[in-house]
Amino acid sequence: MWARLGAGIVPGFFLAAALLGLVSWLLPGRWESTIMVGLLAFFPLWIGIVCAALRFSSGRRAWLCLGIAAVAGLSLLRLLQASGWVG
Amino acid sequence: MKLKPATLRTFTTLHSWVGMLAGFALFVAFYAGAITVFHHSLQQWASPQLAATASLDDAQQLLDQVLARHPEAREHLGMTFPGYELAEPTAYWQDAQGVWQFATPQQLAGSPTPPGASLPELVNELHYTLGLPLVGTWLMGLVSLLYGVALVSGFVIHLPRLFKDLFALRPGRNLKRFWQDAHNVIGVLSLPFHIVFAVTGALLCLLFVLMLALNPLVHDGKLMAASTAAMDTAPNMQKTDVSRPLSPLASWHARAIAVAAEHGVADFVPGYLKLAHAGDAHAVVEITGTSPRGLGAGAVALDATSGAVLATQLPGSRDANHAVLSAVYALHFGDYGNVVVRWLYFLLGLGGAFLFYSGNLLWIESRRKRRQAEQGRSSIIMARATVGVCIGVCVAISAAFVAAQLLPALGWRVDAGERWICLGSWALCVAWAARRAPLRAARELLWLAAIVTALVPLAHGLVTGGWFWRSAAAGHGALLAIDLGALALAAGFASLARAASRRSRSGDANSVWADQAR
Repeated sequence: MWARLGAGIVPGFFLAAALLGLVSWLLPGRWESTIMVGLLAFFPLWIGIVCAALRFSSGRRAWLCLGIAAVAGLSLLRLLQASGWVG
Repeated sequence: MKLKPATLRTFTTLHSWVGMLAGFALFVAFYAGAITVFHHSLQQWASPQLAATASLDDAQQLLDQVLARHPEAREHLGMTFPGYELAEPTAYWQDAQGVWQFATPQQLAGSPTPPGASLPELVNELHYTLGLPLVGTWLMGLVSLLYGVALVSGFVIHLPRLFKDLFALRPGRNLKRFWQDAHNVIGVLSLPFHIVFAVTGALLCLLFVLMLALNPLVHDGKLMAASTAAMDTAPNMQKTDVSRPLSPLASWHARAIAVAAEHGVADFVPGYLKLAHAGDAHAVVEITGTSPRGLGAGAVALDATSGAVLATQLPGSRDANHAVLSAVYALHFGDYGNVVVRWLYFLLGLGGAFLFYSGNLLWIESRRKRRQAEQGRSSIIMARATVGVCIGVCVAISAAFVAAQLLPALGWRVDAGERWICLGSWALCVAWAARRAPLRAARELLWLAAIVTALVPLAHGLVTGGWFWRSAAAGHGALLAIDLGALALAAGFASLARAASRRSRSGDANSVWADQAR
């Protein structure tokens, strides 16, 4: 349980941040107009990922899947921001 | 949803762990928080006499005097209107060292101690920091996150029987079944309330930390600059170094009400103002207030020299950021709607405290060795800690209430005194429970809680003459409710103490709750 929980807490945090960033930057309109909605949604999102991580079959798989998803999500977000496609 | 037995077991383990880590802090947060719902009434109750509400002229004089005496206040100054928290207006600002200073019409020199009775703030501090300085708020933020995990895991564990057992409350020989049913029914029926508190509690404690973390990660380093506009109403104006006098305070007050009415908020009541760059041509004032039918506060920003409207964020016409932020505050503090909402929050808060207390009892019960008197070390420690911390904090808060009445009458310093009495009596209760058989400690501390809580209306009546029948006759509903509420809680503690006595006579001997358990 502890390894999977750790996966939900550490890479899960970055995955939650990536999802939040993608949603708030990809929504129509300026990202600044949904700052508070995003901050409010962050903790429930993270807690959801922590609990969902317990359904992985092993700790290794959980770390791997969540880690890759987090890196992919944050990279995509950075790419969109750097290219000026989102604002 | 069908869950594998292994998943259910994992969630049960997780629920036990987070419950154990956060349960004690949550009990304190909910018991103290339920009382804090009535902080406004508590302020009246703990003040020596009921003051008449000051006028806007008094507020104007306070503003003029503070601005004349304290140059730092001219940069940024906050001020409550008469009747908002206190009957008289209060001005506050940061001095050159960054320390907040407070001034009232009686006390223009400024003081780091906020005016008014200190009892509501003490109970509030227990609620959001457990009385711990510096790290208390972050700790409670962490506790809120664990609480969220406990809600999800508890819900998942209970899911297979959720509908079947929803209204089941089975008294009888199997006491564990009864406690489990009570834990489940309160947990499920007040789940929306608990979700609100897990989310808003975490956000209120950790907002700044979260923003620091997300700023470089997802917002390209632009979050801090953008958050000012998301939280404040007044635009950030540069000073001009051209001096210009302020328009009268009463005109801001009237203008804010008129502007709110133009935006469809018919009964706007200004609560406090924030004034920046007083004396400059770009002086800005932001007036925040509430309306009885709106969720959360709204604000009007005015040019403080001409009274021209600069910006508004009012219920019904505010942007998403301000709507969310004011909803978070309103839902957490329960300061929307009327007194029925506050009583509902109070009862649900006490129900929440029961949820955490019963959770600890169920943890102990599920580890009970049924065939021997000797019980596990961890169960005994848990039983003693639950009794000492949970019943102890009930004693401590009631002791602070009694101290708030008696200390001023004895001529002692009330703010430091009631803090020492509160935290000291709490520590004594924990120490007492650590050295006794858990059931004996529970019985004794419950009787103590009943007695100290029954002393609350007695101390109030003796010191101020505000006996509850006089409050009733004079129409002071808030004072009456606190005194009667204390009596009701005292009766509740007494009946729990009697239940503990019954347990010692007729309960199972193979338990940590046996009369002689060590």
